[in-house]
Amino acid sequence: MRDMTRARAAWLPWALPAIVLVAVFFVAPFLLNVRFAFSSWTSFRAEITWNGLDNVRTLIDQDLLANAVTVTVLYAILCMAIQNAVSLSLALALQRTGRVNTVFRSAFFLPTLISPLAAGYIWRGLLAPDGAVNSFLGIEWAWLGEPATALVVVAFIDAWKWSGLITLVYIAGLNSIPKSLLESATVDGAGAWTRFRRVVFPMLAPALTFNVAVTLVGALSAYDVIAATTGGGPGDHTRALNVVMRQQWGQGFFGTASALGFTVTLLVIATAVPLVWWLRRREVTG
Amino acid sequence: MRAPSRLLGAAIGAVLALSVSGCGSSAPEGTGQVKLTLWHNSADPAALLEMYEKFEKQSGHTIELVSIPSDGFEDTTQTKWATGERPDILEYHATVSGLLALNPAENLRELTGEAYIARSGDLYQAAGAVNGKVYAAITGFPQVFGLYYNKKVFAEAGLTPPTTFAELSAACTGLKAAGVTPVFESGGSIWPVQILPILYLAGANQGNAYGKAIASHTSTLADAGSPFVAGLSAYAKLQADGCFNKDIVTAKFEDSMKALVTGKAAMVAQHSDMLPALLAAAGGDQKIVDESVGFAGLSSDKPLVTYAPGPIGTFYLPKTGDPAREKAALDFVRFMTGPAYAEYIAASKTFPVLKDVPGPQGVPSVLQDVKKAYDTGAVIAFNSDIPGMGGLAQLMSELIAGQKDPQKAATQLQGQVEQAAKAAGLPGW
Repeated sequence: MRDMTRARAAWLPWALPAIVLVAVFFVAPFLLNVRFAFSSWTSFRAEITWNGLDNVRTLIDQDLLANAVTVTVLYAILCMAIQNAVSLSLALALQRTGRVNTVFRSAFFLPTLISPLAAGYIWRGLLAPDGAVNSFLGIEWAWLGEPATALVVVAFIDAWKWSGLITLVYIAGLNSIPKSLLESATVDGAGAWTRFRRVVFPMLAPALTFNVAVTLVGALSAYDVIAATTGGGPGDHTRALNVVMRQQWGQGFFGTASALGFTVTLLVIATAVPLVWWLRRREVTG
Repeated sequence: MRAPSRLLGAAIGAVLALSVSGCGSSAPEGTGQVKLTLWHNSADPAALLEMYEKFEKQSGHTIELVSIPSDGFEDTTQTKWATGERPDILEYHATVSGLLALNPAENLRELTGEAYIARSGDLYQAAGAVNGKVYAAITGFPQVFGLYYNKKVFAEAGLTPPTTFAELSAACTGLKAAGVTPVFESGGSIWPVQILPILYLAGANQGNAYGKAIASHTSTLADAGSPFVAGLSAYAKLQADGCFNKDIVTAKFEDSMKALVTGKAAMVAQHSDMLPALLAAAGGDQKIVDESVGFAGLSSDKPLVTYAPGPIGTFYLPKTGDPAREKAALDFVRFMTGPAYAEYIAASKTFPVLKDVPGPQGVPSVLQDVKKAYDTGAVIAFNSDIPGMGGLAQLMSELIAGQKDPQKAATQLQGQVEQAAKAAGLPGW
């Protein structure tokens, strides 16, 4: 018991800065603001009164909530899947440190440094019906204007923006795998695919946990890339929760906007907590 | 516990002290001159920006301009406003619906009784005022909505510009046969696609009858056979008939101006404050605009233009609690509406809204068309006095994408109007 207390005492100072940051910049604002999700706050009057679940009812009556949740979840899954698939492939290709690989690593990392809005505007220009992509392919297709492609294309743009960062995490994970393990597997007659499936992938579990959680949670609170590319269109096909929140806010309906913000937070907690718990468990048992 | 709470108190005190000293915009001591913050639309014309400078020179006060991008102007202003931040002077929409969203009784200084109001005719009967109290100083000519058309395209196709929706349908067929996009719509900018349905409704809104009926809740947008549903249906029919550009969902309003000037499109539904954008699309060459572009009114069944008092040159004075800055801000309004107003009209080449101020000389021909159409028959936009209509543009996007039919869109928008009208405490709700 004393050992446990001592271990905790040693651990606390290192965690304290992170705990303080999260408490000040996330928990406190969240707790202070959560009441607005259940209030009649609008720009039209000064009084803010408690109105229970009226904001949620309004959003449901106006056909806004269900679609926004569906779009957000679909978008998050797409972003997570695309980013992790692309980044893991890139990491495997660029794992070895050398001049050529360093150049490519830098090239793939560059989009991470660009503002998401700027990235969105650049891609909107490239993907316009008369843009460079269609000129190159010799077709006429409104990539961001067709319901069939808009959400997937925006998810790809998000992946292009962030894959460099996710790739670096995977490369770090790959380089932390002991060479002796891979050599033993080779000696035992394992081919490249078997080595990846049986040794590399299980050993990448911590990197996978981080990357899956970060990409999924990040995409659940998506706004900037969508705003810069489609603005939520065509129709409401890319109208994620934060896009609707901004629209409600812009019309002076601050209560319903807060309810949407609260929904995003609930969605993030409901997804991230079980996901990280499951992935961490997999790290131990896998 | 006491020590940490004292520390926390000291920290909060320090933060407050810093923020108070940082945002005071206080005057240089002893001069009586102050620094005023003005939130203004980034589309303010050069002539208006010059007026701000002239006021600085004449009064000795300084103006810190905070530019709000015209794309997303309402959203951005509302967002800044909602944080509790207040400029000394706010340039914003003069429509009652825009004004209600600022909660004027609580946040704005009343300007009733100022000299310019008596010189403005009945302008403040329909704009800038709530419950008989005037809050705005409107210096800009109203935004006049109608159809810009390419004169050469119509001449070559042997057609005349339409003034009713039936004529628009007929012209659409003729122009398509001539290989021209009949009407260029910019769904990528979202807001322009609500203009055509609003134009349609001018027929039903003479004397603002329809707008008043919706605002007072004696009619609803979704009533069976309502003019609003008819307007959306007329729009959907034009779309089904292929009258719009193929890239309607992604095109921006700058694209529409370019298509119009180059003759790729025959018509664009827009308002008169878009003239600078039109000029930019013509490479800054006024001659090209004058030769190629005309303007006409259009409604469901009559040649009417629709007008709405716009944000450009409409000023409000938020309550700031600082007597020196409040006095200087009022001086600004008196400057803009006083003798300097004639200079502004001459420089900006727009039409005056104050009596006894001579009209401008050397007005471009397209603006003369606008004035002619306005003088012939103008109806205020039906949504000017209705709060909660901000969702119309989003619903139009869904209508264009085929996700909503006109009736369903009308029902949904009525819900938003109800939400806003109840919050604003309008009579009848």
